[in-house]
Amino acid sequence: MPRVVWPLLDQQPMVEITLTRTDGQQVRRQLLADTGAGKGQDLEDLALAEADCVACGGFQLNPVLLGGAYTGSHRVYILRIQLPDLGFDQDLAVIAVPTCPDGFEGIAAFVFLNRFGYGNFGNPTQFGLETP
Amino acid sequence: MTTASEIQVRNQELARAINEEARRDPHSPYAGKWVGIANGQVAVVADTLGEMAKELRRIEPDPQKSFGVQASRDYTKVTYIWGPR
Repeated sequence: MPRVVWPLLDQQPMVEITLTRTDGQQVRRQLLADTGAGKGQDLEDLALAEADCVACGGFQLNPVLLGGAYTGSHRVYILRIQLPDLGFDQDLAVIAVPTCPDGFEGIAAFVFLNRFGYGNFGNPTQFGLETP
Repeated sequence: MTTASEIQVRNQELARAINEEARRDPHSPYAGKWVGIANGQVAVVADTLGEMAKELRRIEPDPQKSFGVQASRDYTKVTYIWGPR
């Protein structure tokens, strides 16, 4: 089964996604892999800076209310998300947040990680995803 | 001429009305569906977010003139993100 792994970033699990800007340029974003973000039945897979959501031409969904590290109403965008090494290419709901965790460019929520098999696959210095 | 922001206000008002209808009436044609709105009108009714997104982009490529809602969802429910900021 296809698998992709990344080194820990500041000792925290990281996943790297590819976004497509409106000018066609593809950009990579390093996200904190956070199983504590959201629940398995949530509809929003990721959190990214609003500038990325707009630069990638996402259209908006109804805003959502956040609690915890973020509070209040936040815009939600539909963005094309790719993980080329896994052949993953889907439109996903992404919450626009004003700030990202230190050193990261967004958050991969539990519902996103749970689309895959995830973990360190026996190596404590890495984190990865694999398709079932 | 209608501006993009005026269109977006109309889109959001329609999305709110659709969600209220779907939550009030389980037999509404929008109940449980993903509804794509473009230029103040319903453009797509789909079973999945992916279908709705693909069709809505085809109909209205300008994201400032389109909007989506998952009808029947309780948008007052809070999603918690506990991670560091």
